[in-house]
Amino acid sequence: MAREHILVGLEIGTSKICVVVGESKDDGTLKILGVGEAPSRGVRKGEIVDFDTAQKCVHEALADAEEKSDVEIKGVYVGITGAHISSFNNRGTVLVPEDQEEINEEDCRSVQLSAREVSLPSQNAFIHSILQHYYVDGQDGVLNPVGMLGHKLEADYHIIHGISTRIKNTVRCVREIGLDVEDVVFNPFATAQAVLDQSHKDLGALVIDMGGGTTDYIVYVDGAVKHSGVLAVGGDHISNDLTAALRIPLARSEKLKVEEGSVIVGECVPGEMVVLKGDAGFAGKQVERETLNTIIHLRVRELFELLARRLDEQHCLEFLGAGVFITGGCSQLKGIKDLAEEIFGMPVHTTRAQSLSGVTSAFENPQFSTAIGLVRYAQADQIGRPSGLFAKLKRGLRIFGMF
Amino acid sequence: MFEIHRQTPLISTEADSIKIKILGLGGAGCNALDRILLDGLEYAEAVAVNTDVQALTASVAPRKIQIGRSTTHGLGTGGDPELGLASAHEGEGELASELEGAGLAFLCTGLGGGTGSGAAPMIASLAREHGALVIAFATLPFAFEGRRRATQAQESLDALRAAADIVVCFENDRMGETVSPQAGIHQAFAASDATISQSVRAVSELFKRPGIMRIGFDDLSRVLGGRHARCIFGHGESDSDNRANEAVARALKSPLMDRGRLLEEADSVLVNVVGGPGMTLNEVQILMEELNRHVGEHTQLFFGTAVDPKVGNRMSVTIISSLVAGEAAAASVARVPEAKPKRVSPPRPRVEKVNLPPAPVVEPELVEAIAEAEIAPHEPSPFFEMPEVPEAEIVTEPAAQEEPLLVPGPVAELVEASHVAQSLEPEPLFVAEEPEPEPVVEAVEEIAPEPEPEPIPVAEAPVLPPRPTRSFPRHTRSAPEPQLPMDIPQTKSPQQESLPFEPVSRGRFEKSEPTIVDGQDLDVPTFMRRNVRLK
Repeated sequence: MAREHILVGLEIGTSKICVVVGESKDDGTLKILGVGEAPSRGVRKGEIVDFDTAQKCVHEALADAEEKSDVEIKGVYVGITGAHISSFNNRGTVLVPEDQEEINEEDCRSVQLSAREVSLPSQNAFIHSILQHYYVDGQDGVLNPVGMLGHKLEADYHIIHGISTRIKNTVRCVREIGLDVEDVVFNPFATAQAVLDQSHKDLGALVIDMGGGTTDYIVYVDGAVKHSGVLAVGGDHISNDLTAALRIPLARSEKLKVEEGSVIVGECVPGEMVVLKGDAGFAGKQVERETLNTIIHLRVRELFELLARRLDEQHCLEFLGAGVFITGGCSQLKGIKDLAEEIFGMPVHTTRAQSLSGVTSAFENPQFSTAIGLVRYAQADQIGRPSGLFAKLKRGLRIFGMF
Repeated sequence: MFEIHRQTPLISTEADSIKIKILGLGGAGCNALDRILLDGLEYAEAVAVNTDVQALTASVAPRKIQIGRSTTHGLGTGGDPELGLASAHEGEGELASELEGAGLAFLCTGLGGGTGSGAAPMIASLAREHGALVIAFATLPFAFEGRRRATQAQESLDALRAAADIVVCFENDRMGETVSPQAGIHQAFAASDATISQSVRAVSELFKRPGIMRIGFDDLSRVLGGRHARCIFGHGESDSDNRANEAVARALKSPLMDRGRLLEEADSVLVNVVGGPGMTLNEVQILMEELNRHVGEHTQLFFGTAVDPKVGNRMSVTIISSLVAGEAAAASVARVPEAKPKRVSPPRPRVEKVNLPPAPVVEPELVEAIAEAEIAPHEPSPFFEMPEVPEAEIVTEPAAQEEPLLVPGPVAELVEASHVAQSLEPEPLFVAEEPEPEPVVEAVEEIAPEPEPEPIPVAEAPVLPPRPTRSFPRHTRSAPEPQLPMDIPQTKSPQQESLPFEPVSRGRFEKSEPTIVDGQDLDVPTFMRRNVRLK
């Protein structure tokens, strides 16, 4: 069973745990071998709140994935999210030593470290420093400064950080099952790799991943990540709203949201009802469709408006040439595209993972965008990655924020 | 031990002995009667009455009376009500003997033509003279039948109202709504017949079928009596698993109900639920709950129910009501909830109308007083946003203590309105906080009688922010709504009946930390935070 490089992405989400097994071919393409899935319990708002339960669910998802892809999974790339994660942009500067003419790799590493020399809150650790642009002696538009002549190398980085204990929690949960954690990846960053292609990134795009527990977002401007973040509001909030308003059990409102959920208000026939059939412990109920839609509409609108405000504060919205890409479970709500267009004022696409080969059903489901993105990230990561024991060790330490 | 035979009805034998006669008068009336007979008629005798011999022959009624033999010579009246009346006089003797001994007489007729329009009032009074209670089912012509017929029909209807005890009147236009525009015209007329048939059978069953809770003639006349009333009628049946919901859904879908909207306006509504022995109390409850959502708070409900083994699995509900002409006209002219503002005007039992005049005077002082009291505990900077964070975090008493005056809902609404003046806004999320004169006045109406905080809502205040009584419109407006529906300054009555008294649990988010953004706890449902009234 000589497989070329196997890459596995694990997303521990609030509504589902998802494991995507991919194969990286020499020609650079990525093939999805299988997707394992399990309902998630013990995770709220993207973070693990019940360790043991979550672990069991991860185990289940892994078993499912191994069976479907016929691969033994040893190491995974873990996606992470949570309201504690935030980001900012910072510039690092490094002066090229006098005797050295050309800029070399060492300088690039130094400039990255320099960019990280910023005080994070004491409990926080770095998750990513994503390169945005290089500047050589003030000149921008430099893609790769290695080999260029210059005195001063600067670089802008998008720094993503979060509370280290929570990140470690997730890592520990995965480790205890017996897996190696190759890297911890911020979810929207991964999602963007699956959903956007380079042209979108260059034009400028916003990716919104509306999941069960959180809504993650990331903004690309001029091919570089400009802003990213998490709002701890997701599909769960919609279901909760429905439960509160309609006084029905949570499971039923979840089902109702999935089957009949729509954000379109004002277009229902008055008196049009949605019938919920009775069940054990639940007498049937009739709900006016307009009411249902209104509840969902209010919540989703609020979410989008909040997001739009945040992005506006960062002056991101003006530069989005490719528009907005919405993915994730909640992107399947009817009418959400139009609502988003109204609020963001630019074209919106409800989308999913793009241009992959392999199990098609996997990437047709927007819920898997993030996990597939993790595999893509893994692919890119592996290419630029030194192998060997020391490198592995260093990677391990990096996860704990020390590098 | 003695056994009660379930075959014998448990009601007094008096009702059994009341004879019910159903008369189909004129062409339309006889068509309706035929339909009734085809659908199955128990408990009553059917009689077809017409001037047109051909039509009479074709009818399937067991008893037939030809009126106006010499007036019309067996041909119809040609749409002339006077001929119809003359014919009726001519046939008076036969009619009288037919009506002899009848306790209850149903008169089915289509108005606008000759026989029905002319004869109906006369026959109705004839029946009354013979001691019968008369319920007339009359149809008004389709709009396309022209103005002349409509006028004739209306005149005849007025006469009929004077002559009969109860008049149930249907507009053919409404019944045409049940059929698709592509349907043949015979289908439209057939729908009209079907509706009459349903209503006649339903009403006759009301009286005759043994019931657990009886509805009597007095109830019916209470609901349907009154001059210039427009009848609301709905009938729905179902025998599926979900029969309670379906039956009431079908009943409400009846075009004569205008999909249930008209029920809100009615003063009294009669509901009869019939089912087989398998009908459960739960189902009846489900049905009535659903129904209750469509009737107004002040509506008197006459509820009757019967268990009839003959219907087997089928559960049916009949809804009968009427509207006073003014409201009926308004409701029919504009099918959108202009009805809403009307709800404010009918006298509310709780708020004494006496207080209304002083309201405007009270208001400004009260606003200031409250505004001051409001500002004091909060912040010295009135133009800054309200410090939302402490408020949001407060899941306990402090909120109530700080603002005792906030407790009654409408007062709080007042406060919000006053706050708006100080541009309260971390939240453009709180769309539409423009101070509206209406709700304020409304609210004050309520304030005047009860200025003290009430203990019950206090328990509420901590969790839910004060609720301005802004209503959420139930139906769309005709103009497209660019903003959120709650921008519409609709005011609902200042009542708080829908405040839940149980503490709101965090539901799904028990174990996680709350999502506080810009001072708001986003875990609390959006519609709650924005005080959107849902149905």
